[in-house]
Amino acid sequence: MTDQMKPRGGLDRRDVLKGFAGAAAVVGLAGEALAQAAAKEAPDLAKAAADGKLPKLADRLPASPMVVNVDKVGKYGGALRRGLRGSADHNGILRLVGNQGLVRWNLAFTEVLPNVAEKWEVNPESTEFTFHLRKGMKWSDGKPFTADDVVFSIEDCAKNTELYKSAPSAIVISGKPCTVTKIDDVTVKFTFASPYALFLEQMATPLGQYPTLFCKHYASQFHPKYNPNVGDLVKAANLSNWADLFRAKNGDIEIPQRWGNPEKPVIDPWVIKDPYTGGATRVTMERNPYFWQVDQQGNQLPYIDRLTFNISQDVESLMLDAISGKLDIQERHLDTLQNKPTLSQNMQKGGYRLIELIASSAQQVQIYLNMTHKDPKMREMFANKEFRQALSMGINRQEIIDIVYLGQSEPYQTGPRPGHPWYHEKLARQFTGHDPKAANALLDKIGYSKKDAQGFRLRPDGQKVFFAIDVIPTLYPDEVDTLELVKRHWAEIGVDVKVNTIERALYYTRGDNNDHDAAVWPGPGGLDPMLDPRDFFAQHPQGSRYAIPWTLWYVSGGKDGQEPPESQKQRMKLFDDARATADLKKRGEIMKQLFDLTADAFETIGVCLAVNAFGICRNNLQNVPLKYPNSWSWPNPGPALPQQFFFS
Amino acid sequence: MLRFILSRLVWMVPSLVVVSFLSFVLIQLPPGDYVTTYIATLAASNEVVDQNTAAELRSRFGLDQPMIVQYAKWLGNIVTRGDFGLSFEWQQPVSDLIWERMALTLVLTFSTLLATWGIALPIGVFSAVKKYSIGDYLVTFLSFLGLAIPSFLLALVLMYIAAVEFGQEVGGLFSEAYVQAPWSFYKVLDLLHHLWIPVIILAVSGTASLIRVMRANMLDELSKPYVTTARAKGLSEFRLLVKYPMRLALNPFISTIAWLLPNLVSGSIIVAIVLSLPTAGPLLLQSLMSQDMYLAGAFVLLICTLTLIGSLISDILLALVDPRIRLE
Repeated sequence: MTDQMKPRGGLDRRDVLKGFAGAAAVVGLAGEALAQAAAKEAPDLAKAAADGKLPKLADRLPASPMVVNVDKVGKYGGALRRGLRGSADHNGILRLVGNQGLVRWNLAFTEVLPNVAEKWEVNPESTEFTFHLRKGMKWSDGKPFTADDVVFSIEDCAKNTELYKSAPSAIVISGKPCTVTKIDDVTVKFTFASPYALFLEQMATPLGQYPTLFCKHYASQFHPKYNPNVGDLVKAANLSNWADLFRAKNGDIEIPQRWGNPEKPVIDPWVIKDPYTGGATRVTMERNPYFWQVDQQGNQLPYIDRLTFNISQDVESLMLDAISGKLDIQERHLDTLQNKPTLSQNMQKGGYRLIELIASSAQQVQIYLNMTHKDPKMREMFANKEFRQALSMGINRQEIIDIVYLGQSEPYQTGPRPGHPWYHEKLARQFTGHDPKAANALLDKIGYSKKDAQGFRLRPDGQKVFFAIDVIPTLYPDEVDTLELVKRHWAEIGVDVKVNTIERALYYTRGDNNDHDAAVWPGPGGLDPMLDPRDFFAQHPQGSRYAIPWTLWYVSGGKDGQEPPESQKQRMKLFDDARATADLKKRGEIMKQLFDLTADAFETIGVCLAVNAFGICRNNLQNVPLKYPNSWSWPNPGPALPQQFFFS
Repeated sequence: MLRFILSRLVWMVPSLVVVSFLSFVLIQLPPGDYVTTYIATLAASNEVVDQNTAAELRSRFGLDQPMIVQYAKWLGNIVTRGDFGLSFEWQQPVSDLIWERMALTLVLTFSTLLATWGIALPIGVFSAVKKYSIGDYLVTFLSFLGLAIPSFLLALVLMYIAAVEFGQEVGGLFSEAYVQAPWSFYKVLDLLHHLWIPVIILAVSGTASLIRVMRANMLDELSKPYVTTARAKGLSEFRLLVKYPMRLALNPFISTIAWLLPNLVSGSIIVAIVLSLPTAGPLLLQSLMSQDMYLAGAFVLLICTLTLIGSLISDILLALVDPRIRLE
């Protein structure tokens, strides 16, 4: 599938329709093709329009709808079935339908393409972004979508301190949120206090959808600025403040209420009908008659009539649904390695194929030694680069790959994945060879040469070289298996560890309080190094687990946490520079310097390249790419455009 | 009798307060809070919560306040306004969420109860009367088998067989077409059509243990002199069984009513999850796992209230059925 934008200014939509009808006649498919050309919308919508219950297609589409160049022109109809869990699974809906931001990702996850905005301009300093919206675009209730909605969403909602205590980070740079001004009905300008070259990429991710999230003519009735009597509504709903009511009616990017109000106008391809609420057993969505995208022949999308999400409490029953062919496309909750054999075996019975989900992470099992440990002796040990180097060389990565990952990976540390333009050989591969001899020699050299009766090394203060590694077995069972092997490998070089399997909330609490010795987590930044650089420097207060206090220093601008070493400070500066640089080549050069420093510092220990996941897709579901990224920033399968999937 | 009931009712109030406090503490006891769990759950699908959001959520839900303050607020709202609060996750009133699921839960529990008693009581009596016959051994064998098989496993195996071998759906209580449909005669038929599977699965282990209990109780009674006396007086065997030993053997069942009521809510959770039943159990488990304080707290409070009421009812019933028991 390629993406193609209709040239602006030249043809208008009616001309295009005429053009297609003409072309079809010339090719000689006269009757049938003409009939098809006449009805470029779903049959039920065509009927409603003919009966006068709905405006004509031409009046529902914008003057220049977004044209999706589909693989195969589809046919209308059918219901797409997916599964959800009963709790905290609202993003399963978001991923399929709710990623309609100003811009979007291409399929390869390398470039930002027009979406709601048909084009944009950026000033050389990357502080001003001017977006041109689509003239005549409508909300799902038929009212126009204009610059006013964007201004309302940001200025009145996202920046409202009663609604959001602090503005969402996607629209904030250097601690200040952007200012949005309306130029005319279809043009808006975002102004930032300092350069923010990454803004477009951020706008393509789910957390960057604020500009198109709130519908002014509907949402303003719950906003005190527009409705002075909002207090009565709050009281009638038995809530305590207007912000709660606003959220209950309009949702937010990733809260369940976003899918809980069928009245709320949206710009998504499907509109909620049976909402996702606490007691729901099934969520359904119906096509948006005003959806603003068409295929290259001018047929309005989406092709598929409706979506049904059955809610199961338990993943095993989701597996049964999959193998009995009751799910049309699903990767959520199924994509673990243990499920793959069962799902492969039953492909024929379930009538589905497997699709490959390219890992966007760099590292499958990143080991974070806490270099800011509260115990000074432990801190000293972990902060020693040669100690970490010895541990890395003590791991037999090939054995882990063969046993745990069925040979589907390669030894790796961290950094952009092979094939990425920013791939960094040293960062990715240093110290990945299995060399217990060198590791032992190194440990002897740095003062851990004495051993106890069991052959474990002793620290200079007489304590055993021992630490616990936190891991969440329910989330990542494979990491537990890997750690058990690592424990064996490290025993050979005299280092004792405990695989500390804990519950996930405890894992987070220990990290937040800086109580952990060490922890593991998949290491991100493989395809999206700019969006999640937590392993390249101390950037993420919950994720850069080798030095949480340093991240606090960075995030708070030096007010909280602990001051990091010089190399970290340089990287923080470099990253801020890279984020302000629009030119991709220049940005790459800055990031190369950052990666050089990361490689020299060698803070995290990796095991192997993140393994691709998989999903299932029914054989009769068409226009689904064979593989696509698996990421939150590229919220699969959304950017593969489910609106152009169809049933053959 | 009336005084007894009244004093029991009065004592319920302090018990409930203590229990509600304990449950509040217990739910808070695990590390982290709703927000940590929420972030961790999203992280499981590679999803990230905006860094500014986490702190905001905590203050919005009042999780940054001391526990005792949270408890006082919660209890205050219940006592003064009957308001159980909003579920953190769904932002819907807790009472709506619970009642929404109670009707089907009641249907399921009572059907299971009827099935269990209907099967277990006659068989238990039979195997006691025909002690050590082939029939008794057969029933004993089957009931031990039923006791030994965990019901969720039975559910999974049945589902697997139905799905893979017969291509039939087993999960849920309704067919596709009726899930969202309003109530009608056909929907009830559809419910009955689906209900028997969970009822059987749930009844299996209950039936097995009841058969054993009934058999043992009956054996205790059958050898007593009053049975011989009744038989000597020429009472028909059936009348004799039903009128005397069986009535006494029923005592333990009546005392189990105390657990029966709370089981309405918390029983059969695992089976309900496996079978995707829209009953209260899965919601309870979910709220505990996500540390959704108000929802979980309301559930625990409900279960405790039902336990207290249940034991009161069974005490009263016991006194009515068995004249040897005196209140006071």
